[in-house]
Amino acid sequence: MAQQLRFNCMHFMPYAHLPENHRDYKSVWVTLSNKHYDPEKGHALYQRYLAELVLADQLGYDAVVVNEHHNTVYSMMATPNLIAAALVPQTKRARICVWGTPPNLMLPNRLAEEYAILDVMSNGRLEVAFPLGTGMEYWANPVSPATARDKFRESLKIILQAWTADGPTTHYGTHYTYRFLNPWPRPMQRPHPPCYIVGTGSPETIDIAAEYGFGYASVFVTQERCRELNDNLRKRAGDFGHTIRPEQLPILTFVYVAETEERARQEYVPHLKAFFEDYVRTTPQYLAPPGYLSVDQLKIRAAGADKMHGGFDFDLISKSFFIAVGTPEKVADRLGSWAEWMGSSHINAVMHVADMPHWKTVKNLTLFAEEVMPRLRRGAAQQIAAE
Amino acid sequence: MFKREELNVDGVKTVVHSAGAGEAVVFLHGAGTIDGFDFMAPWAEKFRVIAPYHPGFGESGDDATFTDLHDYVMHYLELFDVLKLDTVNLVGLSLGGYLAAKFCSEHGHRVKKLVLIAPAGIIDPQHPILDVLAVPGDQIVCLLASNFEVIKKRLPEKPDLDFIGARYRESGTVARLFWEHPTDPKFMRYLHRIKVPTLIVWGDEDKIVPVQHADTWRKLVPHADIRIYKGAGHLVHLEKPEAADAIAKFLS
Repeated sequence: MAQQLRFNCMHFMPYAHLPENHRDYKSVWVTLSNKHYDPEKGHALYQRYLAELVLADQLGYDAVVVNEHHNTVYSMMATPNLIAAALVPQTKRARICVWGTPPNLMLPNRLAEEYAILDVMSNGRLEVAFPLGTGMEYWANPVSPATARDKFRESLKIILQAWTADGPTTHYGTHYTYRFLNPWPRPMQRPHPPCYIVGTGSPETIDIAAEYGFGYASVFVTQERCRELNDNLRKRAGDFGHTIRPEQLPILTFVYVAETEERARQEYVPHLKAFFEDYVRTTPQYLAPPGYLSVDQLKIRAAGADKMHGGFDFDLISKSFFIAVGTPEKVADRLGSWAEWMGSSHINAVMHVADMPHWKTVKNLTLFAEEVMPRLRRGAAQQIAAE
Repeated sequence: MFKREELNVDGVKTVVHSAGAGEAVVFLHGAGTIDGFDFMAPWAEKFRVIAPYHPGFGESGDDATFTDLHDYVMHYLELFDVLKLDTVNLVGLSLGGYLAAKFCSEHGHRVKKLVLIAPAGIIDPQHPILDVLAVPGDQIVCLLASNFEVIKKRLPEKPDLDFIGARYRESGTVARLFWEHPTDPKFMRYLHRIKVPTLIVWGDEDKIVPVQHADTWRKLVPHADIRIYKGAGHLVHLEKPEAADAIAKFLS
């Protein structure tokens, strides 16, 4: 059955001025000294990135997406709710997605409050996703990776209770105690803003989404794996009496559109290469702090790391991940067929990577909005009419 | 020569290796298990030597509810009951030394003699203990002994996935205990309750728990016999046969 597609513009807001000798450091996460952060350059980047997301709203994207990372050049959004708050008065129509803050890295009442404030300020445009956070976040925060999953579940329960039950309520748990859980304000959307779990498809995170009937925002998984985890979630959610809808399964995709295939590659590939080679570069130790993964998962990852060799290969990476680069026709075709194949109606498009300059981002945002989105929307409308 | 036994200790699978007969000598291992317990083999002529794996380490099972060193104190009370040991000689290495001293300060009547090998647990801002959670495992291994040969022969030539997984599991157990609170400010306060004969051995080149901590132990457990071995690192009992002999002699 055809579905109207939804299009997000996601931004990582990287600090795009890596020190020249950054490869002398073992990681650009956790330990790369913040002496390399120049606030003047940071200011210019914030201005620019916010303008890009505001443009996405003006161009008709359905949502803008921000997320959270710490101690890294990869992202300047250590506290994404601040970014979302800056976007609220500057955007009119787009949903604002904070995808998101690990609920166990923050006091749960405080996160419930901040999200509710954003939802009320934006007149119900907020969507949230709950990640466990990468391993790197645990080296930067005073929270144990070994008890993270347990704490995550408890914090999530408190946040939902804060949003849905008339306060004051109580919570006496393992990690948190609330004698008067009664946050003001409550969210605008009832029972609460749309929620997703973020993950790489581990059974633990799939189960949380299934239990609550939440969406699942998968990150950095291959096409095959993503399809498999969508299937797993649908099945597992059924066990809990939930039906997962196509819009609850966003496809994270890297997109670049240009006039010709050749030009698209020429303009985009160097930045994607920088993203994979330089901006996500870290160590196995930082990726998997003690207790963060089950031993089985650690072994799977260690075995995978053994097999990875050679450098960045655009063709190879485009085959296994959701990367759509080329003419509007080609990009629309790829996204449309992925959505159908995945049973999803939700395209979460990363429109800027690494050190991509402003002009390319604006070009990409504009061409996508004017040449790709209408194609897919028209196609879906025709199919729906035919059905 | 060690006999392997698998016990159920209050619901936790606990594997114990033991040898010999006589008075019990229980060895509490440190934050890893690659160093082994074979150094106790010669003691089996005179003692019943017992080497349990702590929950979350080596051949023993996991218990995610163990989040505090005190859970291990309770575990050993239970284990000694299961083994029908009224009193034991307790030998603890590093984290195991911390645990042995804590056990003894709380349940001294169950301990006959106490031996601490480079024990952790002391807070000394001038000489901080190595944060083993922050240092990659392959680097820690190189810091364990001054004479690397004593540990090298216990390592696989090329670590396979099972070895990597086993080390990751043990570091996860350590994280569960110490990630958020690496030290317990109350530990030192109660050390004066250790009344039993106590021997502390240390290598003066210890790169994990600085030998300077011996000065604090001397203040807090004044009756302890403290011996420092020159040219030895953290695994002083493996590097210096005379250190292992001193322990055996002290226990006799």
